[in-house]
Amino acid sequence: MRSRALWVVLLCTFLSVALIASGCGKKKEAAAPSHESKEPVKIGGIFDLTGGTGDVGEPYAKGANAYIDYINSKGGINGRQVDLIDFDYKYDKTKAVEIYNKLVKQDKVTAILGWGTGDTEALKQIIAGDKIPYISGSYSEGLLDIDQCPYNFLVAASYSDQARIAIKWIKENWKGAGKPKIAFVFNDTPFGRSPIDDAKKFAVENGFEVVADEVVDLKALDATTQVLDLKQKKADFAIIQGTSNLTATVLKDAKKNGVTTQFIGLNWAADEKVIQLAGDAAEGYIGVIPFAFPYEDVPGMAAIKEYLASQGEKLEKINQKFVQGWCSTMVMLEGVKRAGDNLTGEGIKAGLESLSEFDTGGLSAPVTFTPESHRGSEKVRLAKVTNGRFEYLTDWIGYK
Amino acid sequence: MRLRFPFVMDCGLYTTSYQEDMAILFAPGAKVKVACIMAFFLFFPQLVNGLFGEPGLYYVSVTNLVAIAVIGALGLNILTGFTGQISIGHGAFMGVGAYTVGILTTKLGLSYWAALPLAGIAAAVVGAFFGIPSLRLKGLYLAIATLAAQVIIEYTIIHWPGLTGGSAGIVLQTPKLGSVSLSSDVPFYYFALLIVTVAVVCTVNLFRSRVGRAFMAVRDRDIAAAVMGISLLKYKVMAFGLSAFYAGIAGALLVTYNRVITPEWFSADVSIQYLAMIIIGGLGSVMGSIYGAAFMTLLPILLREFAGFLGNYFPNVEQSLIAMETALFGLTIILFLIFEPEGLAKLWNDIKNYFRLWPFSY
Repeated sequence: MRSRALWVVLLCTFLSVALIASGCGKKKEAAAPSHESKEPVKIGGIFDLTGGTGDVGEPYAKGANAYIDYINSKGGINGRQVDLIDFDYKYDKTKAVEIYNKLVKQDKVTAILGWGTGDTEALKQIIAGDKIPYISGSYSEGLLDIDQCPYNFLVAASYSDQARIAIKWIKENWKGAGKPKIAFVFNDTPFGRSPIDDAKKFAVENGFEVVADEVVDLKALDATTQVLDLKQKKADFAIIQGTSNLTATVLKDAKKNGVTTQFIGLNWAADEKVIQLAGDAAEGYIGVIPFAFPYEDVPGMAAIKEYLASQGEKLEKINQKFVQGWCSTMVMLEGVKRAGDNLTGEGIKAGLESLSEFDTGGLSAPVTFTPESHRGSEKVRLAKVTNGRFEYLTDWIGYK
Repeated sequence: MRLRFPFVMDCGLYTTSYQEDMAILFAPGAKVKVACIMAFFLFFPQLVNGLFGEPGLYYVSVTNLVAIAVIGALGLNILTGFTGQISIGHGAFMGVGAYTVGILTTKLGLSYWAALPLAGIAAAVVGAFFGIPSLRLKGLYLAIATLAAQVIIEYTIIHWPGLTGGSAGIVLQTPKLGSVSLSSDVPFYYFALLIVTVAVVCTVNLFRSRVGRAFMAVRDRDIAAAVMGISLLKYKVMAFGLSAFYAGIAGALLVTYNRVITPEWFSADVSIQYLAMIIIGGLGSVMGSIYGAAFMTLLPILLREFAGFLGNYFPNVEQSLIAMETALFGLTIILFLIFEPEGLAKLWNDIKNYFRLWPFSY
């Protein structure tokens, strides 16, 4: 009986605290400075900080938050402060939908910075219905269908394009005899599978022999079976679609087992974290790089440096995914800026669609959106890890 | 006829006829209570709209997610709670329902209203099929067999792009009721409310019928049930089919609300989540399914609000608290299994009885 009474008390306490909390849940609005004359612009954020892709999601979210802080410290956009209301959805699509509903219905945001392929695909119809411009961390080809996804924008080359560019580069640099043998290493999620079919088709058209599909889990700690299969099938090249953890696991196990396949990782599989985690095994690894590294000397980096200095941090502390988040937010806010005072979904969409060769200061390829196409860019750079650092092999290249 | 002394609450239930003893609305005032609850839910959208204005729609959208979970949890509870057959394939059965609606409406041009019951039936057929091993397998072995069902169905969905659209999924045409889109919050709310009500009433009555009692007999001791003349094949397979029927309807509603069907929605974690719902809510309790579904859907949201609230005073506590969510779920389940294996439903009844029978509870 006593334990029962304890339960009742516990339950009541929890419920009452939760009720009070939800009543006072309007957190960040209260903290925003109130000296501006115009209403702030509300932007929603659905990020993955602790889920399956948290390794790359966390710096991305930091970059997005940082850019908004930076813009606010410079007086905001058109005299408005920007209010980012963001949540961690743990790479869980059910949570993404719930958070999306909260952002759009309760917080009344005008645009959203999203994250994963699975959830962005799952939300695309609702996004179109609600007219919420949506820039996600996913560059899935499926989001480029302008009839289905009129409010989704891709700031970088799509995964399929990234893979095609890598394949084209291999073809141009292939010196071996016979057909180059190519394999694909990916995780079994919509994100992982997104470019595979397009890439295979392109590879076959360009005279490649597709030898293997290797599925590796995002949080895998071992990929021995998969890399041994690559060895057995004598793959010359393997394209990796995954995140830092997965890539590092594959590279380490490949080195351990004496696999000579040249690995090429797409966007999310190529950043400093891979080198950190894989160490020596990362040497010679090639990355498809749509965004700049913090150590690059490009004009856009000055603002990041300035912001970090104001926070008492250093450029060395951040990585490329931070730049990616920063840059994606920059593109979104440029659309907001061009919308002027017409701060509706349509207004921001029109603003984004007026972007033509928009210069991010070298942080990414110039971004162009039109009412017919939301393919922001078709260009990436390829970089090879030499002495523990990505060094560029090419300038910005496309596959056409 | 009940005997009552006016100055104390009831100190027991004194029913004097079989009809009274078997009534669904058992305790005094129950009819009024049910009427009040129904009225509350009927006017819920207006209520939140009045209280919060347009942002109140968010609460309706959360309630919609709860409603879908309630239907799914009811289905699993019929199978696991009442018939004692564990299933880790519930998420996949939801997927079967969802894809049936998607394929029938987009590929065959069937009306949504015809596709919805067919979704339930398709899921029931698949569910019944995967329930056949339950004749020979019990407990942990059955759990693994149903996990295989989950994996097989999921694999089929992902690797049959011609039919299911693969990982990109199917975009559903928004079903319309007259000129109202069923995918918007308030119309969907009423539709889901209707289905939940029907599902709850059906389930409650199921366990007052021969079939329901047979299910419980199978759960308590299947050999004894067989001796009493209950065909194990028939009732076990029926329980699987019925449970999958509910899952199919829940899956169909889920995609109606989200308009896009992707395999992501029906993974093994969904199955596990439903199991957690009925454990927390109360195995073998209809109301428990409702409490459990609501609890599991609302806990992360309340936790997030709570973290946000704390974040106003203690910066940085927010992230770490939210990261603890999964651990908290695990802890909740362990605590429930130890202290209240019959779940929230039992807990709620104890609280009610404490007050109802005060001061003399026997």
